[in-house]
Amino acid sequence: MTDAPLRVMVVDDHPIWREGVARDLAEEGFDVVATADGATSAAARAAAVKPDVVLMDMQMPDGSGAVATAGVLQAHPGARVLVLSASDERDDVLEAIKAGALGYLVKSAQRSELVAAVRATGDGQAVFTPGLAGLVLGEYRRIARSPDPDTPTLTTRETEVLRHVAKGLSSRQIATRLEISPRTVENHVGAALRKLQLGNRVELARYAIEHGLDAEG
Amino acid sequence: MSRPPRTAALPADPAALWRGLDDDDPVGPLWRAAQIFRLVSFLYALGFMVAVNGDLDHPAAAWILFAVLVVANIWWTTGYLSGFGRRWWFVATEVVVSGAMMLSTEFVASSEWITNNQTWPTTLWMTNAALSAALLGGAWWGLVGAVALSLTNYYVKGEIVTNFGRNATAILLIASSMAVGMAASRARLMHSRLTSAIQLAAQSAERERLAREVHDGVLQVLALIARRGREIGGPTAELAALAAEQERVLRHLISDTPVVDDTADRDLGPALRLLADDRIQVSAPGEPVLLDATVVAEILAAVGNILDNVERHAGPDARTFVLLEDLDDEVVVSIRDDGVGIEPGRLAQASAEGRMGIARSIIGRVEDLGGRARLESAPGAGTEWELTVPVDTRKANP
Repeated sequence: MTDAPLRVMVVDDHPIWREGVARDLAEEGFDVVATADGATSAAARAAAVKPDVVLMDMQMPDGSGAVATAGVLQAHPGARVLVLSASDERDDVLEAIKAGALGYLVKSAQRSELVAAVRATGDGQAVFTPGLAGLVLGEYRRIARSPDPDTPTLTTRETEVLRHVAKGLSSRQIATRLEISPRTVENHVGAALRKLQLGNRVELARYAIEHGLDAEG
Repeated sequence: MSRPPRTAALPADPAALWRGLDDDDPVGPLWRAAQIFRLVSFLYALGFMVAVNGDLDHPAAAWILFAVLVVANIWWTTGYLSGFGRRWWFVATEVVVSGAMMLSTEFVASSEWITNNQTWPTTLWMTNAALSAALLGGAWWGLVGAVALSLTNYYVKGEIVTNFGRNATAILLIASSMAVGMAASRARLMHSRLTSAIQLAAQSAERERLAREVHDGVLQVLALIARRGREIGGPTAELAALAAEQERVLRHLISDTPVVDDTADRDLGPALRLLADDRIQVSAPGEPVLLDATVVAEILAAVGNILDNVERHAGPDARTFVLLEDLDDEVVVSIRDDGVGIEPGRLAQASAEGRMGIARSIIGRVEDLGGRARLESAPGAGTEWELTVPVDTRKANP
């Protein structure tokens, strides 16, 4: 890599884990600019140090990962949030994705996977696990059942790609199967996430208008 | 279950003293209210006593009996207020003594007086005994107490009153006792319901607290050990595998809270997630996938057969991915492994040799549910099962 190292912030309330991950990333050549142990401190530090990538835990004493993600993105909209979850907090993970997180990785992932995921997140790529793909597929099907006509939907291709991700196929394998480029596969996955986030934003805006709240803030 | 002893110093403020009498008995407030009634009825009886005393045959004896009754009432009030009197023998004593006092009318007054007056020392005061019975035993014991006092009253008066238009004493006695008894029973019922609801809430709060603790502490460390250990490799990797296994078990333990609105339905998602381990990854929607419990059992059995097959044939490094999808009118379970796969023609060969037992049992199970099972495989590309089961019988989504 010729450019400056990615500036990373690690948010986790568990000190052993937080320091371990920070050390791993520093050894891999990332610039760990800050760590935080909660939602509030994460937002404050993100505003101050403006990290490129934020590694976000899902459960913290002063708020969920979704709340913390929203706070960080509000404080520093340029941040790219990668959720590191212990794996089973299913609804939490979806909420964090809707709040703007770019990807999701289980904490049991190996160091090489973590490093690759941080790099990908820094590049603006969605990091997906099979578990997250299953959740996102389920979420699109759930909102498709709602009577609201404006809900986001997946294209046939996007559904197909997500199903393959959920069955554990890599981007390369999916590309081979569907006879498209791996980059296109990643674009489909990213689009699936973005539409979900957009739908969430539209929902929030509509809620704000209906309840007479000020749009700013 | 020891309560701290009451402080010896009495509060100066009478209202505070009254409130200080509050105790754990759900009927406690009713007992205290009844003692106010007792005081009022005593004042009425005192007035009656003063007014009629000159007309009695034995005024001195009447005053002595009255004094005895006052002392007894103070004793009863003390017992009911502090709580030690809220037991059957104490109440029975009150009922019997009250009845005896009514009977004493025959001694202190002439039969002419009795005909023209209520029983001495007033029915109103004696009503307290029936109310005590009602507070202790509920409406039916209140009825028993009220009937006993009414019959005593009739005995003394020498006639059974059937003209309630002229004398409604019995009706009043019975109705008020039963009403008070019902209120007491209801208070006890509500109290026991509230207690069990509070217990339930406390239990689930405690479970959540434990889950949070385990999640924030033990699980994180186990995950870290598993990750680090795998990186180091060798014997440490075996320790890592143990840590990973325990992490999984513990996670199931704290996240396994089955939420179903009907005992006949079961959520297929969490049931499948229980199959996950180091080499089996399960993906499912966040929303519940509620199916008939027997259908869930059959699907789980079929998936279990497939996972057994993977373990046996796919090779030691094979990983398996299970995906659950809810398509409203059917659910799809895909089971894919990245193992060695099956050579083309081998399935047909195995089938011809009659070695298709497991695959047949899988397909049979799914077809019995009205669904279909499909198997795809290629050498080096693992195998992929797709089980599709219709869900016409399940509950409509809310």
